[in-house]
Amino acid sequence: MNQMTPSEENMNMENMALQQSQSEKIRAIIKRYYIYFVLALVVAVFSVVRLDEVEWFARGHFLNPNNIINLLRIAVPIMTVAGAFTFLMIAEYIDLSIGSALSLAGVVFAWMILNGFSFLPAFLVTMFVGLIMGTINGFLVIRLNITPVIATLITLSLYKGIALLIVPAGFSGIKSIGEQKMPAWINNYAREDVIFGLPMAFFLAIVVIVVLVVAQRKTLLGKYSAAIGGNATAAELSGINRIKVVWILYIIVAVSAALAGIARASFMSMGDPLTGDGMELWVIIAVMLGGTRFSGGEGNVEKTVIAALIIIVITVGMLTVIPAYWQTFALGAVLLIAVVINHQLVGDT
Amino acid sequence: MASTENVLEIRDLVKDFPGVRAVDNVSFDIKRNTVHCLVGENGAGKTTLIKILTGACERTSGKTLLNGEEFEPHGPRDARQRGVSTLYQELNVVDTLTVEDNLTLGLEDTTVGFIRKTDKINDMISVMNDIEPSIHPKQKVSTLSVAQKQIVEIAKAAASGSEVIIMDEPTAAITEGEIERLFSIIQNLREQNVTVIYISHRLDEIFEIGDYVTVLRDGRHIDTKPLSEVNGRSELIKMMIGRTIFEEYTPKDEAEQEVILEVNNLTNKKLRDISFNVHKGEIVGFYGLVGAGKTELARAIYGADQAEGEILFKGKKLGASPDKAIAAGIALVPEERRTQGLFTILNIRNNVPVMNMGKIAKNGFISSSEEKKAANEYVEKLSIATDSIEKQISKLSGGNQQKIVLSKCLFADADLLMLDEPTRGVDVGAKSEIYSIIRQLAEEGRSITIFSSELPEIMNICDTIHLLFDGHLKASLKNGEDVDSEEILHIVTGGE
Amino acid sequence: MATTEQGQTQKPSISSRIGDEMYIVLLMIGVLVFLVVAAALFIDGFFQGQTLVNLVTNNWYIVIIGIGVTFLLITGNFDLSTGGVIAMTGVLAVYFSQAANVSQNELANGLGLPYGVAVILALLCAMGIGALNAFFVVRLKVPSIIVTLGTMMVARGIAQVVTQGAQRNTSLPDVFGIIGNAQIPNTTIKYSVVVMIVLIIIAFIFERKTVQGRRTYFIGANSAASRLSGVNVTRHLTFLFILSSLLAGITGLLLASEFKAGVSSRAMGYEFDALVVSLLGGVSIAGGFGSVLGMFVGALILSTVQSAATGLLLSPDWQFTLKAVAVFFAILAQSYVLKRRQG
Repeated sequence: MNQMTPSEENMNMENMALQQSQSEKIRAIIKRYYIYFVLALVVAVFSVVRLDEVEWFARGHFLNPNNIINLLRIAVPIMTVAGAFTFLMIAEYIDLSIGSALSLAGVVFAWMILNGFSFLPAFLVTMFVGLIMGTINGFLVIRLNITPVIATLITLSLYKGIALLIVPAGFSGIKSIGEQKMPAWINNYAREDVIFGLPMAFFLAIVVIVVLVVAQRKTLLGKYSAAIGGNATAAELSGINRIKVVWILYIIVAVSAALAGIARASFMSMGDPLTGDGMELWVIIAVMLGGTRFSGGEGNVEKTVIAALIIIVITVGMLTVIPAYWQTFALGAVLLIAVVINHQLVGDT
Repeated sequence: MASTENVLEIRDLVKDFPGVRAVDNVSFDIKRNTVHCLVGENGAGKTTLIKILTGACERTSGKTLLNGEEFEPHGPRDARQRGVSTLYQELNVVDTLTVEDNLTLGLEDTTVGFIRKTDKINDMISVMNDIEPSIHPKQKVSTLSVAQKQIVEIAKAAASGSEVIIMDEPTAAITEGEIERLFSIIQNLREQNVTVIYISHRLDEIFEIGDYVTVLRDGRHIDTKPLSEVNGRSELIKMMIGRTIFEEYTPKDEAEQEVILEVNNLTNKKLRDISFNVHKGEIVGFYGLVGAGKTELARAIYGADQAEGEILFKGKKLGASPDKAIAAGIALVPEERRTQGLFTILNIRNNVPVMNMGKIAKNGFISSSEEKKAANEYVEKLSIATDSIEKQISKLSGGNQQKIVLSKCLFADADLLMLDEPTRGVDVGAKSEIYSIIRQLAEEGRSITIFSSELPEIMNICDTIHLLFDGHLKASLKNGEDVDSEEILHIVTGGE
Repeated sequence: MATTEQGQTQKPSISSRIGDEMYIVLLMIGVLVFLVVAAALFIDGFFQGQTLVNLVTNNWYIVIIGIGVTFLLITGNFDLSTGGVIAMTGVLAVYFSQAANVSQNELANGLGLPYGVAVILALLCAMGIGALNAFFVVRLKVPSIIVTLGTMMVARGIAQVVTQGAQRNTSLPDVFGIIGNAQIPNTTIKYSVVVMIVLIIIAFIFERKTVQGRRTYFIGANSAASRLSGVNVTRHLTFLFILSSLLAGITGLLLASEFKAGVSSRAMGYEFDALVVSLLGGVSIAGGFGSVLGMFVGALILSTVQSAATGLLLSPDWQFTLKAVAVFFAILAQSYVLKRRQG
């Protein structure tokens, strides 16, 4: 048995715990803040490189106000969806239908505006459609017990199909059709300057992002998602209602996709049923770069949101440097790199 | 009788499974604020009793009273809410959350969904810190050791108002120093109005920490008494074993054959420097109780888990994966048949030949007539109760499922057959059949290693017996008339 | 169920002799027949020889890649990269075969390799994608849905880069167009369809009758038990991923040959269709259950629905909703039927 006195033993243990905490602390700091370093790095690279020396470039310095506003405008809706998506992944579930949900929402919104409704009713109805889509997703996954991947691939197809069917034949989207003109004020939400040249859509999305970040850190929803994803049995034993929590998460994801869809329809003055195609890819890359674990239990909305911004910055930056036909390859490569990074960060058992 | 003295009362509790009575009219009381130990061999009924108590399993008949009132929880969650928590070996903490988050999981105070840091939380944290100051509430549980995670669970149970905390083999995975710490925690709990039910095979610990002890054997209650009135380990052991008469073991009088398996200094996370030999035609038994390392040893030899040391099979170094072991001539009947040994959604015909597909195939093509023949052969040989080899495994009873696993391994024609708990959940008749098959295989010149926590099984058929405790091979003996089962139990419960 | 009094095992009834998988296949054949009859009743000209033949031949490319996808689904894995691999292999095959240095136009110049070499090289590249998939899924343990999403883009990306976003269709040797355009004499049925039939038959025999094929089911049913029973799970999964990409590569070759062009936008959405037909055919993602025969029937059902939609003058936009609804009901119906059967 130990020869130390009880107090010595205590001190020893505390020292060990503290030391463990120290090296653990450094790792934790890296894990927590690396994403900001990466963001700074990426912006720096694109700013410093004299892009007008590159053959295809013609837009001037990267950090000009126009570019930044443009970037933020594109990025923020996706950041919102990525943030909501993080919750779901933390609980170890997935939703691949977000792109179609965005498209359908945009179509519904545009349709209503085109047919004479004012902004607020159109907005609310579209958000309600988002709610319904989330409910359907949740129903398939949690009640019918269909694997999340397959369930949300089915709804991906369904929502896309519905969006396509709403658009009249021969048109690429809901827009001015013959006599019926799309009112110009549809742009206001996503284009009209409110402050600093940024539109209402931007600020609303920022609010949602902030809410999501806070929710994950400080509310039951955030904690329970992590509990369900980390150890579903322990969560169940502690009285957590998995069905309720996960269903709510699916609804939140779909609703944020709907919000993003409204912003896009407003910006483009049209409801494009295919505009959201492939968004799930971006979101997944963002989620991975943000250090979310595939097997659930761990993840951070803030980091995912920043990661989404980084992805957009990189892509927009790339757009100015590489030809369009390199993009798919680049995106795929970025995904695989993100997979490797994620593996290093939160490497699975 | 004043029922305020007893926190739990168990009256004529019965649990029947198809073919076996796991709990046989058990009645005893658990006094408030004591450490009440539950001992008994494997299969004595301890686990089933606890499962019934916490509602994880439905009783067949009988009553249980908590504080004098009827207590029949719907499930572990319900039991916990009513004051009875259980600490299992599979820890129920969320690794990815902090200690503080785990302590308050499900018990949070909220305003509009926002988690508030209230006094209640601070109280829980101070309970936690009283017990174990080295654990920081903001630490992620994944960074804690097993002992520390246990403490978090205990703190949670205590701080959330549990009157009774059941601990199932809590010391199986922690170090000696941590055990001491656990004991002082348990003593503190007792002073804070918590009753601890302590299940363990380690009799020394029972004497150190327990106030009362209940001995179960074959599902029946043998005795409940204060530990102060127990005459040392030997009395407990006598009660645990009873006067079971083992089937006659006839020692082999042939000269020792060649060595077929040589294990030297096998070591890994659980195993500690284990060395032994197995001879051709020999039946070697490894006996030990929960946490002794039996399964770890079997898996390490088989290549399913990694280990350091040397393993020579038929003179050659054994490859470090199951498929290589099978190719060399070893087959394993795993411990958990449903998750490791069987393909439950497939049928009998598919399951039987999997470990030796070459025998029913020619040039890679499966012959369905050979396949059916193989399945039917073993259905008959092992008297498996089914009307068709097309029957899905999940539809068979536990005993029959175990026979399928055995068939798989027999079909592999292995020279060394390793069996991990081969007759768990198998009825008496089938057990006998399995034992005679094992004996016959040995006569044919094959070697068998049995890893079991059932002493009668080991005593029944093994030629050589190795005793395991806490990853160590403590003793080896040849089976025969002068084997002392009490001495054996003494060693596998930690004695020297 | 107990044995009879004499201790003899009873002879199993016909219905119980058919495994659950074939039972579902029969169910889906029933659905197919129902759909065909319904279509014939409501659509003029549906029940004609040519239309019916087309049902079998229309989706030949989906069936071929469906083989790999089905096997992987049985083990619980996805392969979304197949569409991209089809495009990539076709483009690369064209690029490798195009004559070198014959034109100012970049897209008209290739590597000038002999046809056979070009084909083999292109297929090797396809298999490379499969190996990449296997590496991430089996070694790094990354969910296959995510990995194959990435490799799908990488493969298609390669196709896009090599064609600069368009296609390559000039300076090809004549031999290039043979395999994709050859027809069975006296019919309009391409040999690609024959390839499909041959591959399905081989795949079916493989899954039912070979040791190697059986492993897919063992792994899908219980991966841990497979390992302990001597199945080399790593090796088999790697094999399946490479097989899937190889099949996609072959499809890509046939299509490139048929159109005598390597098109970067070829096979968009094919991976989704492959998933659809596998699910229609009864594959269960829970693992260990499904058949390529079912997938084939699923493809026939898909063709029927697509033809009927055209016949009813529905716009192609309907396909998304139809597919979603079809798969949904198929999953529900199959699990209901199985539950009842297993009582």
